[in-house]
Amino acid sequence: MLKYTIRRLLGMIPMLILISIVVFTLAKLMPGDSLSGEIDPLNTNPEYIAEMREKLGYNEPLPVQYFDWITGFLQGDFGKSTRFKVPVADVIIEKIPNTLFLGVMSLLITYILAFLMGMYSGRKPYTIGDNAIAGVNYIMLAIPSFVAAVFAIYFFSFHLNWFPFGGSVDILVEEGTLDYWFSRLHHVLLPALVLGAMSTASYTQFLRNDIIENSRKDFVRTARAKGTPLKKIYNVHILRNSIIPLVTFLGFDFAALIGGAIITETIFTYPGIGQLFLDSVTSRDYPTLMALTMLLSFLTLAGNLIADILYGIVDPRIRLD
Amino acid sequence: MASTTTISQQKKPERSLSPWQIARKKFLRNKLAMASSIFILLVTIMSLSAPFVANFLSPLPDVTKVNIGSMNIQPNGEHLLGTDKSGRDVLTRLFYGGRISLLVGFSATLIVVTLGTLVGSIAGFFGGMVDNILMRFTDFVLNFPFLVFVIVLNTILYGIVDGLWVLILVIGVLSWGGVARLVRSKVLAEKENEYILAALSIGCSPWKVIRKHLLPNVMSTIIVQATLIFASMIVAEAALSYLGFGVPQATPSWGNMLSSANEPDVLQGKPWIWMPPAFIITLTILSINFIGEGLKDALNPKSLR
Repeated sequence: MLKYTIRRLLGMIPMLILISIVVFTLAKLMPGDSLSGEIDPLNTNPEYIAEMREKLGYNEPLPVQYFDWITGFLQGDFGKSTRFKVPVADVIIEKIPNTLFLGVMSLLITYILAFLMGMYSGRKPYTIGDNAIAGVNYIMLAIPSFVAAVFAIYFFSFHLNWFPFGGSVDILVEEGTLDYWFSRLHHVLLPALVLGAMSTASYTQFLRNDIIENSRKDFVRTARAKGTPLKKIYNVHILRNSIIPLVTFLGFDFAALIGGAIITETIFTYPGIGQLFLDSVTSRDYPTLMALTMLLSFLTLAGNLIADILYGIVDPRIRLD
Repeated sequence: MASTTTISQQKKPERSLSPWQIARKKFLRNKLAMASSIFILLVTIMSLSAPFVANFLSPLPDVTKVNIGSMNIQPNGEHLLGTDKSGRDVLTRLFYGGRISLLVGFSATLIVVTLGTLVGSIAGFFGGMVDNILMRFTDFVLNFPFLVFVIVLNTILYGIVDGLWVLILVIGVLSWGGVARLVRSKVLAEKENEYILAALSIGCSPWKVIRKHLLPNVMSTIIVQATLIFASMIVAEAALSYLGFGVPQATPSWGNMLSSANEPDVLQGKPWIWMPPAFIITLTILSINFIGEGLKDALNPKSLR
């Protein structure tokens, strides 16, 4: 397993280099100084710009510039945000906890919903309940996340007044108190629900089919012959076997969450990485934009890698090729 | 239903149906898929006829002009779905919006399927080094976070090329990876058959084998996949337009129309502005998915329905 993991990790390096080259090329195509953010975009004095360009090494050949940028990037120097006038790294770090919180909550919601629905459907396949769950799942899969988000705000925030419709915390509560955490939770619940519902359908169907398949296997027949209660067979014997393949979904979810976060965070005006990304486009904060592009690409890559490795753990046959 | 088919088969055993005829029969019998097809047909007709019927739909047939005198009118006899915050008729915009949404969806799907099939079939058929290089490239494309790159590319290209085609090109070029993988795996399985060996042994060129022998046999998979991609491309366009990075704001598209829901005032108090596009997007996506499922069923020789 270790050998497989190391091989996968090494295989990621050329991919990372390629992606960094693409991001660098895109950054160079962007108007202005999109990598360091040191040149003040409001100062149009040509002498100033020429001097800064020389100082920042923009007159060097492109490969040298790339090398300078990537070494800086690896050491955590993401340039300076033109909007906030502080290092991009600081801007991003400030927003990460919010997005992380949202991501974890939405995963939790996905797992809870998928578990409840999948176990019921798997245990009672082809019944009304199973069909109803399949129908709901189908609709959840088909509704685009932004439409779902708009409807969620309309019904739950405006009509029922259950949830706030934006932000990550009430302004008035003091940080660190119990109220503060409740307020955080209250704010994150609706976006997390919308984000989490997106991937619930595939989890549910997978769990259902796996439980049905497993319930026909010999070990179930043995357990039944021995007189094990049906409830125990489903909740212990079968579930243990059916959960394992689900683990592999986690890595792909990672990538899906990134795209989903951009949309949901923007709609719910939730101050996280996704909103920062879109804001940096509209406010032409290109250094932040490029740093985030690099970061999000890296996360997607890491997600796919995790999925691959988890596959290897779950199904040892994959490791051979 | 099963009993009637067996009787009719016993009556006339003369000629068996071709695979496509069987598929068509199965599809026509699938009520959900047929209802969805009719809905999509209606939406298509509605979109295509927009410039011709605009004059009959409302007193304000111009969808790009701001009409200060008729802002935020609730649905009534004159404006069946009301007007939006710039005084433009919602129903007329819905008709015109369909044009953009379907055009983007269709063109992007065409790009995705063409690129994916090309790369997938070449990689699968030639194998070895070619396969390795092409598939690493596919992995590379698949590893890009889609939304992030579409937005960045749009920002760079915006203003250089016409907005709509930038969008189509960008979302098309970034999403063919999945199709390429699928086609490759199908071609890999298909090329082991003897008829391919036979075709090669009588001197068919690789291109002819791919075109005449391999592709027709993986066509059913591609068609099903294309349907699902069509749906996801419409979603991509709407999502990007909703966020303000898709079709230029002045052009009516379903995503652009929905983006008015970004204002709390519209979202809360004027649901007639954003609900029609929200419903039509959802119904369109749902219908296309049902059609895809129906096609999958119909084209699968093993399914019994």
